[in-house]
Amino acid sequence: MLEKLLGGGKLEKKVLEKIKKYLDTLCSATECLKNLLITEDVERSYCVENLEREADVLKREIIATIYEGAFLPYVRPNLCTFIEITEKAFEALEICAFEYRYLNKNIYQNIKEDCLKVAKINVEMCQILIKAFEALRGKDNLRERNLAIRICEKKIDEIKLEITEKLRKCDTCEIINFWEGKNISEFVESLVRISDIIEDASDYLYILDLSLK
Amino acid sequence: MSKNVGEIMNTKLETIPAEATVYDAIEKLIDKRIRSLLVLPKDENDEYGVVTVRNIIFKVLANKIDPKNIKIGDIASKPVITVPKHASIDEVFDLMKKNNIARVFIKEDNKIIGVISFFDILGYVLIEKAKQ
Repeated sequence: MLEKLLGGGKLEKKVLEKIKKYLDTLCSATECLKNLLITEDVERSYCVENLEREADVLKREIIATIYEGAFLPYVRPNLCTFIEITEKAFEALEICAFEYRYLNKNIYQNIKEDCLKVAKINVEMCQILIKAFEALRGKDNLRERNLAIRICEKKIDEIKLEITEKLRKCDTCEIINFWEGKNISEFVESLVRISDIIEDASDYLYILDLSLK
Repeated sequence: MSKNVGEIMNTKLETIPAEATVYDAIEKLIDKRIRSLLVLPKDENDEYGVVTVRNIIFKVLANKIDPKNIKIGDIASKPVITVPKHASIDEVFDLMKKNNIARVFIKEDNKIIGVISFFDILGYVLIEKAKQ
């Protein structure tokens, strides 16, 4: 839709390619977090930070190119907002990886399986978000992708409740230390927030698609 | 369909003892906003069962039986249809079609560990399609 509407000039193509790269980086970061949770190898947590830095550079380039004159003026803020929404997912990923380093692993073992499920769904959601973006660029309808993302988000919401219940009712891992509690709470919060942000980004793409029709 | 049932099954199982009354089941179904409950075996020789809203309506309420005077074990459908964790989604889909059932349970070491329903399959198909 974007390319069709705006003719696909040089600057526009550059922006769209960079946005695609930005979303690929997001996907890699979610994959990285998933591998961290599977392997429990703390060293792997640093790749999320590295990817976040890469994404930051890409974000600056995208916004600079947009304001160099890519796209019609009324489309520009919308694309910037989309990038800003997805940027929040990087923030959540970074917090999650950071908090993981300091987790009490006895507490974590009780929710490990559920956290892994969430991390896997996050990766799937990112893959679908990329497809949704490609659908916006082309002639595809992104309604199906938006629905799939909403289904994934709903699944994560249910898992979040299970995690909370397990943490509250755990006899073998009662949390009595404030910092341990804060640490696990922020880890879980950031892990489940990623999907909320991806859903927001997908909704935004859908609205953008509708507004361009 | 490439994933196996273990990857998409729902592990949160709502259960009820076979000795509980149908009224207890109704309360639980309404409170949790669900449509079925896994009925636990009475003893080692008994087997798992399943009770659905449909069972309750057709076997109890439609026959004007007081739900407080009838036990869940008396109306539960037994045995439940199960598959192992590594079964494919296609296998589950075929079982649902063949037996005209809305949910298939996942069994491991003689224990039910999860359930997969129409809704899970619908979600799975839509997600896989969106990824293509």
